[in-house]
Amino acid sequence: MRSKTIGDRALDTFIYVVLVCMGLMTLLPFANVLSKSVSQEWAIVSGKVGIYPIGFQLDTMRYVVTNHQFLHSLYISGLVTVIGTLGSLLVTAMTAYPLSKRELPGMGVLIVLFIFTMMFNGGIIPNYLLIRQLHLIDNLGALILPVLVSVFNMLVIKSYFESLPVSLEESAKLEGARNYTILFRIVLPLSGPVLATIGLFYAVYYWNDYFNPMIYINSTSLKPLQLYLQDIVMNADTSSLNQSADDLMNVPAEGVRAATVIASTIPILLVYPFLQKYFIKGVLIGSVKG
Amino acid sequence: MSKTGTAIARGPAALTKRGGRRWRLFRGNLDMYLLLLPGIVFLLLFKYTPMYGVVIAFQDFNIFSGISGSEWVGMDQFQKLIHSGDFIQVLVNTLLISLYKIVLLFPIPIVIALLLNEVRKMFFKRTIQTIIYLPHFLSWVIISGLFVTILSPTGGLVNEMIQAFGGHPVSFLTDNHFFRSVVVFTAGWKEIGWNAIVFIAAVAGIDQEQYEAAAIDGAGRIRQMISITLPGIMATIVLMFILRIGSLLEAGTEQILTMYNPLVYKSGDVIGTYVYRMGLGQQDYSFSTAVGLFNSAVGFLLIVMGNMLSRKFLQRSIW
Repeated sequence: MRSKTIGDRALDTFIYVVLVCMGLMTLLPFANVLSKSVSQEWAIVSGKVGIYPIGFQLDTMRYVVTNHQFLHSLYISGLVTVIGTLGSLLVTAMTAYPLSKRELPGMGVLIVLFIFTMMFNGGIIPNYLLIRQLHLIDNLGALILPVLVSVFNMLVIKSYFESLPVSLEESAKLEGARNYTILFRIVLPLSGPVLATIGLFYAVYYWNDYFNPMIYINSTSLKPLQLYLQDIVMNADTSSLNQSADDLMNVPAEGVRAATVIASTIPILLVYPFLQKYFIKGVLIGSVKG
Repeated sequence: MSKTGTAIARGPAALTKRGGRRWRLFRGNLDMYLLLLPGIVFLLLFKYTPMYGVVIAFQDFNIFSGISGSEWVGMDQFQKLIHSGDFIQVLVNTLLISLYKIVLLFPIPIVIALLLNEVRKMFFKRTIQTIIYLPHFLSWVIISGLFVTILSPTGGLVNEMIQAFGGHPVSFLTDNHFFRSVVVFTAGWKEIGWNAIVFIAAVAGIDQEQYEAAAIDGAGRIRQMISITLPGIMATIVLMFILRIGSLLEAGTEQILTMYNPLVYKSGDVIGTYVYRMGLGQQDYSFSTAVGLFNSAVGFLLIVMGNMLSRKFLQRSIW
C-alpha cells in the first residue's frame, strides 16, 4: 500500500465521523428510553434524564413485566407468530414446488395470477368485509389466514427450488416416488437456508404486525403485544393496566411507557443475531431474482 | 406408468399430439395439483374475492343487504370523492410525505454504501452495520413509543435540548407544522441503514481491477468513488428508484396510524389512514372502497409504467 496523503487522512476522518454519528443517532433514542425506564418519575418529567438513569430503580420495569395484560399479550403474539410462521412456511413451500415445474400444464397461468396480486389488491374495506363474512372478527385466524402466503416469499422459494439439481428428483421418480414424497423427503431437506430466511421473514411480520390486529381484534383477551403497546404509548392509558386507583398514584405513566417500550424490544433483540445473518441473504436473493 | 396409458385411452377423442402430452403430464402429476390446493384456495379466497369486493365502490353498500342486495349508483362515489375537500387534502398530504421521503431519504442509503466501502477496518464496518440495521426489525409501534418519549414536550430529550439553547418546547406530534417532518425523519431513522444493504452488495460486486487501474492513473479516492463506484451501482440505483416510485401513494399508513391523532389530521392524514377512518370508523364502506380503488388503480399504473421504463433502460423486467 502506498503511504497515506494528508487528503486521504482527512477523508478517512470525515468518513469515520459521519458513520459514528449515524450509529449514535440510531442508539440515542434507545439509550434515552432505556434510562427513563429505570429512572425515578420526578427525574423523567422534569427532563433530567438524558442517556443515563437518574435515581436508578427497577420497580417500574418489574411492575411492567409482571403485569398480567403484558404477559398475556406476549403469549398471544408468540402463539400467532409460531403457528403463523409454520403454517405460512408449509403452504408457501407446497405452492412454490409445483409452480417451479414450468412444464406442467397451468403453472404459467397460475404464476401470473399470483404475481398480479402483488400489483393490485382489493384494499382495506373489501378485505375487512370478507373477514367479517367469514366470522373471523375477534378470532386469531384473522391475523394468519389472510396473510398466509406472501407472493414475494413464494417466488423466492420457487426460484431456489428451480436452482436445485434435477438429477436427485429424477432418480427418485424412476424409483416410483410420488411428487409429495420428493418435496418433503428430498427437496425441503436440501432447502434449509432459504426456509430459515423465509421463516424469519414471516416470523418478524407476524410479530410486528399492528394493522391487522387493529382492524380485526377488539377483545382485550386476544390483543397481541403491538396493540397492547400502542394503548400504553399513545393514550398513556394506564387504565389498560387493570390497576386500582391506589396503584395509579404509585406507578408513573412516563416511566411505565418507557419500560413497556423497552420490554417489548427485548424479544427482537434476543433473536437479532439470527435475523441479521439470514435476512441479509434473503434481501439479496430477492433483489437479484426479482 | 400404466396409469398414463389408460389416461390417453379415456382422454378426449380429438387429442392433438401436444395436447396428449399435456394431458399425460397432468394425469401423471395429479398429486402436484393436490399440493397446490391450499395455495389456490388462499389465492381465490383472500386475494381475488376482495378484488371482486371493490364493486361496492359502485354501489351504495349496505352491510345487511350485502353486495347482491345493495343499490348500484355508478360513479357517484367517485363524484363525491373528486368534490370532497377532505380527499384533496389527503391526496396532497400523501404526495407531500411520499415525495419528501423519496427526495430526502432515497439518496442516503447510497451515500452510506459509498462511505462504508471506504472503511478498511472490518470490525468498525460490521459494528456500524449491526447498529444501523437494527431499527428495521422493530415494529412501528415500538418506534412510535421511542419517539413519543424523546419528543415529549414534558421532559423529552429533544425539547430539553431546545430549551437549553433558549428555545420554546415544541409539541412535535400534535403540531401541524412539525408532524410531517417527524413522519419523514422517523421513517429515515428506521429504514436508511437497512435500505443500504442492496447498494452495499452492488458495490461489493464491482470489479476491483478498475480501482487498481485508476490508482495507477493517479485518480484519488474521491475521484474513484465518483468515476467507478457510482457508475458501477447505477443500474441498481435506477431499479430501486423505479420500485420506489411504484409505491408513491403509500406514504406509510401503518407508521402514521401509530403516530397521529385528530390534532394533526390536517397535515398527516394520508390515503391509507383516511380509508381506514372513513370505512371502519364511520362505516362509509362504499366511499372508502372508492378511495381505496383509486389508490390501487394509480399504484397499478405506476408499477406497470415503472416496469416499462425498466425494460427500456435496464433491459430487465421488475418481475
